[in-house]
Amino acid sequence: MSDTARLERGYRRCLRWYPADFRRDHDTEILGVLMDGARDGQTRPALTECIDLAAGALHARLGPTLPRSDRAGWAVVRLLCAGAVAELAALVVVLATAGGVRSTVAALNPGFTAAQWHAVLTGEIDPTAVAAAVAIGFWLWMAWLTSRGHGWPRPVFVLFFLLTTYSLLSGLSAGSALYARLDVAVATILWIVEAATLAVMTRVEISRHFRRQVPVSSASAG
Amino acid sequence: MTKRTMQEATFLILTALAAGSRHGYGIIRDVAAISAGRVQLRAGTLYTALDRLRLDALVTVDREEIVGGRLRRYYRLTPKGAAELAAEAARFHANAATALARLGPVASGSG
Repeated sequence: MSDTARLERGYRRCLRWYPADFRRDHDTEILGVLMDGARDGQTRPALTECIDLAAGALHARLGPTLPRSDRAGWAVVRLLCAGAVAELAALVVVLATAGGVRSTVAALNPGFTAAQWHAVLTGEIDPTAVAAAVAIGFWLWMAWLTSRGHGWPRPVFVLFFLLTTYSLLSGLSAGSALYARLDVAVATILWIVEAATLAVMTRVEISRHFRRQVPVSSASAG
Repeated sequence: MTKRTMQEATFLILTALAAGSRHGYGIIRDVAAISAGRVQLRAGTLYTALDRLRLDALVTVDREEIVGGRLRRYYRLTPKGAAELAAEAARFHANAATALARLGPVASGSG
């Protein structure tokens, strides 16, 4: 095998790190650029070239694909990131106020048995903290999907919103406002952020729908 | 809100294309020449930037050629790309002029 063929095979191996659609569009083009830029006698990709291609492949797989001009789309991404921060604040509040909540519950229910305490801890406080931690990941995942131009995060987010609304209302009906005021306040703020995010997501979806419709109607008019 | 500053590599790629359409390796060589060898773009970085610029409609594919059995794609500035480059260049120019005026003799090498 010649030096050129060996070098080309090395570059082709690196280009396999890119996603299939990117390779379909750019594979032979980038290979040409890499071969044009190779040093005389070079037989394999340099380490710096491999690192650069790996970074490019990572960006092609994970980087945002929303155009900068899509301000509404980026507003949704920013709101989703703000939601992750609010959820983190909620987690901190849940963990920081756990002791106070226990004291208040103890004051309100002096006759609690050990089994009842266990039920409060495993049924209320621990699941709330775990759910908040999972929700942080969910908010960030939604933000990433939106930045990649996916259209399906909205229906998933509607389910998430309904779930947290149900959770907030069931907590209030169980009297959580009496023994965990700060937690309820943070949960309410979080619910408002969710509602705002959903409203902006819906507005963006509607405006995109009508933008898609415009060329069809103008074509039929012409 | 402050408008985000264009990255130097992006600015240099657009500057290379301001002189006319270029293929990938042509852009790399031109960027190295414009920056007096200080910025050496690599293929991965170049195509990440070009993809972003195409997505933002600042550059577009001008034409394609097959040279030595390989695809050679030429890129050119769009009117929007030219306008953004002009705005960014004017901003750099204004900032540089202010900096040089304030430095005065130090900048001219007499200090």
